[in-house]
Amino acid sequence: MKHYTEEDLILYYYDERARRTDVERHLDECETCAAAYRALAGTLKLISTPETPERGDQYGLEVWQRIRHQLPEQEVPWWSLWFRADRLAIAGSVAVLLLAAFVTGRWWSSPDAASTSPRQTASAASPANPLNEDARQRILLTSIADHFDRSERVLTDIMNAPAGDDISAEQRWAADLVATSRLYRQDAVDAGEPSVASVLDELERSLLEFVHTPSHATAARLDEIRRRIDAASLLFKVRVLGDELRRREGQDAPRSRAVSAQVS
Amino acid sequence: MDVTDATAVLAKARQGDSDAFRLLVEQHSRRAFQLAYRMTGNEQDAEDVVQESFIRAYRQLSRFEARAHFGTWLHRIVANCSVDLIRSRRSRHDHASMDDIAPIDQPQSDSPDPERLAESAHIGRSVSVAMAELSPLERAAFTLRHHEGRSIAEIGKTLGLGTSATKHSVFRAVRKLRAALEPLRGES
Repeated sequence: MKHYTEEDLILYYYDERARRTDVERHLDECETCAAAYRALAGTLKLISTPETPERGDQYGLEVWQRIRHQLPEQEVPWWSLWFRADRLAIAGSVAVLLLAAFVTGRWWSSPDAASTSPRQTASAASPANPLNEDARQRILLTSIADHFDRSERVLTDIMNAPAGDDISAEQRWAADLVATSRLYRQDAVDAGEPSVASVLDELERSLLEFVHTPSHATAARLDEIRRRIDAASLLFKVRVLGDELRRREGQDAPRSRAVSAQVS
Repeated sequence: MDVTDATAVLAKARQGDSDAFRLLVEQHSRRAFQLAYRMTGNEQDAEDVVQESFIRAYRQLSRFEARAHFGTWLHRIVANCSVDLIRSRRSRHDHASMDDIAPIDQPQSDSPDPERLAESAHIGRSVSVAMAELSPLERAAFTLRHHEGRSIAEIGKTLGLGTSATKHSVFRAVRKLRAALEPLRGES
């Protein structure tokens, strides 16, 4: 007779298991499983829901009084910025100037201008507009920090994935992150963030390995992936670097290029 | 302010109307506190979580989808704020000492004779100590399953975990709690 595992019984206790009647029938017939279930349920019943300290009717108002002066600026969706009247006016002016520049260029084509590379153009233009560069850098750091948060969750999933179970949902999620990771890695290189780029590179490789694993992976295969993640301290690096980037988001002063040596 | 229904309040709050947001705070604070207390097991920490959650919610209101329920969205924020707080406490103190752990108040029976009261306090203290030994995610997943009655799918969505990781967080939590509390079964 096949016995139910502790995990099966936990799911049954919490009403999470499909085919409950099968388990019920088995528990009626199998004294070993019935005893295991009684022990489990007996212990879980000791953990009764704690009584929450009472909060009066005015509690909501008290919370409001405490936070009202701390409320930050609301985040504005990126697309709404484009529909503000002043932005539209600026965008219109820029479009007119671009059109004028294009027409002028068609009439006055200069050989010197043609030989200038896009990179030279960019480097010549960027010192004139340091504020935009700074804002772009900040947006990049925020996006990468969010990416690290999502990656941390996927890595946690990988570390906990049971052998033999269907992991295709986690693999799809990891595949999405691989594509994003690649883009951010290039951006990080361009932005002079080698430590970030290096962790993104390691992350990409580990995720790819997971994506290309069969969706019902064996225990040995999963162990191998986990060992590599552990050996590279990847989860730790992703966590620390994510925190570091979040910390830097809040800083207005020019940021140091070197991210903590502990993660590199 | 002439705001009578939840949708209108939310719409106004999303436009930056602080009076509308105040109504949301007043309406959802007690429920937020209850969840934060169950998650952290500590009154002061629960207060911190409630405040931080509303501040986060206000900052991110533009991301909130109008067709969703604000309470559900806030529940998710409170749960994650609690995990963050427990995590930050852990990194500061590594492990809480026994003296730092407040016993979880167990519901009292109708006839509280002294022996039963003492026994209940002993169990409450043991449960608190055992819960404090869980990792932040294990504690969160277990609390949401055991005390809040959320399904594995809902917990996964709340904590941003896949189904298998959520299940295994609950399994690990139950295993650790059983190891710590099994001896009490004979006493109770």
